[in-house]
Amino acid sequence: MYLRLAFKNIFRNKTRSLITLAAIAFGCISLIIAGGFMENIFYQIRESYIRSFFGHIEVNKTGFFEKGVAKPFDYMISGPGDVIKKIYSAEHVKTVTPRLEFSGLLSTGETTISFLGQGVDPKTEKEISTAVGIDAGADLAPEDTYRITVGRGLSSAIGAKVGDPLIAVANTKGGAINALDVTVKGVFFTASKAFDDRAVRLPIATAQKLLHTGDVQTLVVLLDKTENTDMVIKNLRDLFKKDGLDLEIKPWYEMADFYTKTVDLYRRQFLVLKLIIAVVVVLSVFNTMNMSVLERVGEIGTVMALGTKKSGVVALFIIEGFILGVIGGVAGLAGGYLLASLISYIGIPMPPPPGATMTWTARVDIVPGLFVYAFVLAIITAIVSSFYPAFKASRLEIAEALRHNI
Amino acid sequence: MNIVYVEKVSKEYQLGATVVKALKGVDLAVEGGEFMAIVGPSGSGKSTLLNLIGCIEKPTAGIVKVDGVDVVNLSSNELAVIRAGKLGFIFQTFNLLPVLTVAENVEYPLHLKPVGSKEKKERVDSVLKEVGLERFSAHKPAELSGGQRQRVAIARALVGSPSIILADEPTANLDHKTGTGILELMRGINKKFGTTFIFSTHDQKIVTMADRVVELRDGERAGD
Ligand SMILES: Nc1ncnc2c1ncn2[C@@H]1O[C@H](COP(=O)(O)OP(=O)(O)O)[C@@H](O)[C@H]1O
Ligand SMILES: [Mg+2]
Repeated sequence: MYLRLAFKNIFRNKTRSLITLAAIAFGCISLIIAGGFMENIFYQIRESYIRSFFGHIEVNKTGFFEKGVAKPFDYMISGPGDVIKKIYSAEHVKTVTPRLEFSGLLSTGETTISFLGQGVDPKTEKEISTAVGIDAGADLAPEDTYRITVGRGLSSAIGAKVGDPLIAVANTKGGAINALDVTVKGVFFTASKAFDDRAVRLPIATAQKLLHTGDVQTLVVLLDKTENTDMVIKNLRDLFKKDGLDLEIKPWYEMADFYTKTVDLYRRQFLVLKLIIAVVVVLSVFNTMNMSVLERVGEIGTVMALGTKKSGVVALFIIEGFILGVIGGVAGLAGGYLLASLISYIGIPMPPPPGATMTWTARVDIVPGLFVYAFVLAIITAIVSSFYPAFKASRLEIAEALRHNI
Repeated sequence: MNIVYVEKVSKEYQLGATVVKALKGVDLAVEGGEFMAIVGPSGSGKSTLLNLIGCIEKPTAGIVKVDGVDVVNLSSNELAVIRAGKLGFIFQTFNLLPVLTVAENVEYPLHLKPVGSKEKKERVDSVLKEVGLERFSAHKPAELSGGQRQRVAIARALVGSPSIILADEPTANLDHKTGTGILELMRGINKKFGTTFIFSTHDQKIVTMADRVVELRDGERAGD
C-alpha cells in the first residue's frame, strides 16, 4: 500500500517529478561520462606507455635497477636465448624482445650530439613498439645492419635526414672507445617528447658490435592483456627461482612513474566531481520532497488520524525518495550508456598528453563499476535527502494537520 | 460498560500569550450502539471533544476512556493502534486521498491491520455495496460528487469494523438533501451493525435523527 501510494504521489506533480528525475539522471550520466572518459584516457596513456617503452614486464640481471646506471656492463644477461625461451614458456606471454641501452655521441662530421642508444631486435621489437610512429623513412628491418632510426627531436637538433651517413661513438665493455659508420633509415616519434629528443634505435647486433659485447641488458616482455601482468610476474619469479637464474623482474607500473602520478591526481579530481553531483542530487530531491510534504499536510493528518504511525509516514516519504532514485538512476544509466556509446562512436580529438607529441582520439569507456556506483549513489542520495522532509511530516500534530483540508 | 467515558475533561491551547480554554471540565458517557449528536455554536468545543475521543489529541486534564481503555497516557504509537483498531473517522471535508481510487481509499485502513489480501478485497466490496458505490470502485475521488465522496469516506470508516465512528460535521459541506441522505446512511449502518456513532453538527433538522443530543456551549455541557 505504501509503495502504491508513494508511486501514485510521485506522478501527481509530473513536472516537478520529471525535473527531479532529470537531475538524478543527469548526475548519473555525468558520472558515467566523466568516469568513462577518464578511464579511457588512463587506458590509452597506459597502453601507449607500455607499447612505446616498457612492455608489460622488464627482466634484468639482479641489481640492475639499483646499480645498473653507474655500471651497465656489470649487469648484463649473457646467453639471453635460453632465458627468452623460458619466458616464452609462461602463459599469456606474447612477445619477448631483447634491448641493449647505452649512451654515446652521434656526429654528422660538423655537429656532434649525445644520444641514448637503444639496441633492438627489429623483428620482435615491432610487436611491442606499436605506439612508436615513423615520421620519415622506414623502421628498422631484421636484415638491417649499421642502420639507425632517430627520434624526431634528435633528428632536427642534429639536422640529420633519411639517408644521411653519421658516426656513432660509444664506450665499449672493456672501457675503450669505438666508433661505427651508420646510416639514418628513418625518423620516429613516441608518446614522450623527452625520449624523442635523445633516442636512437639500432639493430641489437650493431649495438653489440659497437660495445664489443654479446650480451643484452633487458628483456622486454609483452603480454596478451595488461591485467595479467601480476600473474605472469609471479609465474616467472617461480620459474627463475627453480632454475636458479639471477634475474629481477619489474612490472610496467613501477617504471611508469608519470602515469601512476597522473592517474592518482585525476582520480582525486574525479572524487570532487562525484561530491558535486551528489550535492546536486541531494538538493533536488530534498526540494521535491519538502514541497510534497508542505502540499500534503492535510493528507498526512488524514492518514495519521486513520491510524498510520509516525514510522509509516516516514516510510511513505522515504519510499517516494527511493522510487525517485531508482527511476532517475535507471534513466541515468540508460542515458549514460547511450551517450557514452555515441561519444565513443564520434570520438573526442585530444591534444598531446604532457611530454608527448601526438594528438589522439579519446572515447568514453563503458565501465560496469561506474554504472553500479552511479546507481547506488542515485538511490542513496535520494533516500538520504528524503530523511528530513519525511521526519518533518511525521512530526505534524494530527489535529493541526487536519485543519489543512479545506 | 460505557464505550466512551469522559470525565472532567478540559483542553487548553496556548495561543501566543493567551490561553484558550476549548473545553472546561466536560463529562460524557456513551453507551455502545448509540447514535449521538454533539451540537453547539461554532467555537463551542465540538471538534475538540471529538478529537479527544478520537485519540487525535490529549486532554489538558481529565479522563478519556475508549472501549474501556484509558487513553490519556498512551504513546502516539499506542494511540495509532487504537485509532486503527477501534475507531472510524468521517470528516467535514471528506479527506479522501486524491491519488488513490475509491477502492484503494476504502482499503487504506485495512493495511494497518493484519488482514489477508483476499479478505481485504471482500471487505472493500462489501462496504462499497453498503454505501451504494460498488460501480465507482475504480474512479478517482475527483470524479465523484460531494455526497458520493462522503459515502466513500463512510465506507472507509466502516471497513475495519470499528466499534465507534466519529464524524465531525459530516454534512456541513453538503446541500441539505444530500446531507440528510448521508445521515440516513449512517443511521442505517448504526442499526445494522450496532456501530456507535458520535457526530457533531449545527444543522437542526439533522439533529432530530439522533438518539441523544449533547449540547456544548463555550466549552461546557449545556444540559441534555
Ligand atoms: N489548535 C488550537 N489552537 C488554539 N485554539 C484552538 C485550537 N483548536 C481549537 N481552538 C479553540 O478552541 C475553541 C473550540 O474550538 P473547536 O473545538 O474547534 O470548536 P467547534 O468545533 O465547536 O467549532 C475555539 O475557541 C477555538 O478557537
Ligand atoms: Mg468544529
